[in-house]
Parts: sequence; C-alpha cells; structure tokens
Amino acid sequence: MSLEADLGIFAISVAAGLIGALAGVGGGILVIPALTIGFGVDFRLAVGASIVSVIATSSGAAAAYVRDRMTDMRVGMFLELATTTGAVCGALLAAAVAPAALYVLLGVVLLGSAGMQATRMGEETPPTGSPSRLASTLRLESSYPDRKLGREVAYSARRIPLGFVLMWIAGLVSGLLGIGSGVLKVLAMDGAMRLPMKVSSATSNFMIGVTAAASAGIYLGRGDVDPQIAAPAALGVLAGALLGARLLHRITNRTVRFVFLPVLVAVGLETIGRGLGFGI
Amino acid sequence: MTPERFRSVVSGVLLIGVAVSAALVGTGFVAALAIGWQNSLVGAAPATAVTTDFSNLPTRLASLEPAAIVQLGLLVLLATPVTRVAASVVAFALEGDPLYAAITAAVLLILLTSILVLR
Repeated sequence: MSLEADLGIFAISVAAGLIGALAGVGGGILVIPALTIGFGVDFRLAVGASIVSVIATSSGAAAAYVRDRMTDMRVGMFLELATTTGAVCGALLAAAVAPAALYVLLGVVLLGSAGMQATRMGEETPPTGSPSRLASTLRLESSYPDRKLGREVAYSARRIPLGFVLMWIAGLVSGLLGIGSGVLKVLAMDGAMRLPMKVSSATSNFMIGVTAAASAGIYLGRGDVDPQIAAPAALGVLAGALLGARLLHRITNRTVRFVFLPVLVAVGLETIGRGLGFGI
Repeated sequence: MTPERFRSVVSGVLLIGVAVSAALVGTGFVAALAIGWQNSLVGAAPATAVTTDFSNLPTRLASLEPAAIVQLGLLVLLATPVTRVAASVVAFALEGDPLYAAITAAVLLILLTSILVLR
C-alpha cells in the first residue's frame, strides 16, 4: 500500500464511520466498494476490513450513545437473543445455500423497505399509545432525551414478536451473507417496533458490533483481515463514528431518516449487484 | 446499581476497548509507515511475509513488528463487544434485574459458542 492509498482509505473510512454512526449501520456499504473499486483491494480482504470497521463504528458510537441514553439497552439485549441465534443458524446453513439468489432477494426486500421508509420521511416521533402487556413485562418502554426537540421523548415497543422474528432474520442474513445486518436492524426497530428513529439507529449501532464479533473469528482464521488495509480503515471509521455520535444530538429524527434512506437504497442495489456477480 | 452507574460501566467498557485498540492500531500503523510493514523495530530477523496470519502473533509481537502491533489492536477491538456483553450480565444482576441478567447471559453464551465453534 502506498501512503496515498493509506490516506485515501483513512479518508473514506471517516465518511463511512460518520454515516454509519448516524444511520445505525456499519459503513461496510461504503468501505467495501471503495476498497475494491477505488484501491483495487481483493474482495475477500475488503470484507475482512469491513467486519473490523463495523465493530469500530459500533463500539465507538455506542460508547457515547449508551452514556447519553440514546441506546435502549434492554431492547438491544433482548433483540440480541434473536440476532445471535439467527447468526448461528445462518453460519450453519451457509454451506448448504446458494447465496446468489439470496442476495437478489434481500436486495429486493431492502429496496421495498426503502419505499416504506419514504412514506415516513416527515415523521418526527412515532405515534404513542398505551404499552402492550408484553412491552410492560419485558420493560421495553422508556424515554430518551432529545436535545434538538428540547424534551424527553417517551416510547414503548410495539409488535414485539414481529420485531423479534425480523431480528432473527437479520441475524440469519448476516450469518449467511455477512452483510445487511445494520439496515435490517434499523428497519425492524423503526418499521415494526415503532421506536423513535434516533433510538433505532443508536440501538442498532449498539447491536451490530456483537453480530459482527460473532463472525469475526471466522474471518481472522481464514486470513481475511490484512492489517495493512484494516489499520487505516479501523482508525478512520473510529474517528468518523465518534464525530457522528456527537452529531446525532444536534439533528432531528427526520434528518436521521434522511441519512438512512439513501444508505438503504445503496445497500439494496449493492446487494443485488453482488447476487448478480459483480465484485463490489 | 443505579441506571446511571450501569450506563457508565457499559459505556466505559466500550470506551476503554476502543481507546486501547486505537492506540495499538495507531502505533503499529505509524511504525509501519516509518519502517515498512515487513520489518521489525527490534531484532534483525525479518518478519514473516504474511501479515494476515494471527497464529504466530506472540513471537512477532516480541520483535515489535508493526503489523503484529496492529493485529493485537484489532484483537482488542474484536473483544470489545464481547466484553461489553459480559459486563452487562454483571451490571443487570447488580441492578436487581434477573430477567435481563439471564437474557444477557444467554446472549453471551451463544456469542462465545459462535466464536469458538463456528470457524
């Protein structure tokens, strides 16, 4: 790697970390194509660097989000039951499933969800109602301090079984394909469980590190994590994530959705592209 | 344990993990830019050509190979979310929340199983 390439990877990783921290995704969507197309990095090593980047985004941003009560830790831990179980199932099934069709299917689902997201573009906070019995039992009701709105915003999780199943599928997909887990997590929490967008994003951020760590050992063991690429990527992503975590307070839920929607469309297109055999 | 204390513990685990990892990765990265990825800071023995291998890490760390310092930092980074889950088990238990202590312990168990078994 030349110094220019190192600096280039660092710069693109700062952007990936920033967007990832705001949208609740790992930023692999930016890191992988930038490395393969921009710097001619082997796809395998790009994915290895991306896994490292996801953990860096997650841990860096979540440190701030947990402290600032943006992350709902009970929602996160409860749903991690679903994602980790799904991820194990996915990893076990990976050898038996042809990934090409799955990539295309997932991409179509993501683009479909982008359409649903677009209809919610103007919504600042989800409509409130009386919490369900399940939400009370599991204590999946809380509030977060919204500095932009200047008040405490209360919420309670709705459609918890649906959210749990979607999270299991998100885990399954990340175990099978190693991608798409952040966007699916945000979609499950925002779309199905109707948590506020910032809470969905911050809690997804909190969770993706655990999902990625579950499969990181496999990538390390296979020799897919090259320090020459992973070092500038991890440092850049961390810097971007810390910056993004400071920014989330200053923007509205609408703006977070505005950042998330293009990420969702891009991940959808990239996923379909990968299913059709383009090395991106 | 108060909710505030709980959050500061979990947030602290993440922050320390990230800081230690960034310090190691940053040090190794700067050293590599200075002397090259294939050299060591101590000892004349040339480092192995393959920097993606984590199995011989202790010996390569002993000779302060930049790539090995980065790799140690990456391992710290990967261990950070797992440590966070483990710390949450204790924190939920101390908070007097057996339901979530159990849920988190189950997550930790599945996580460790997937890391140790699926490779």
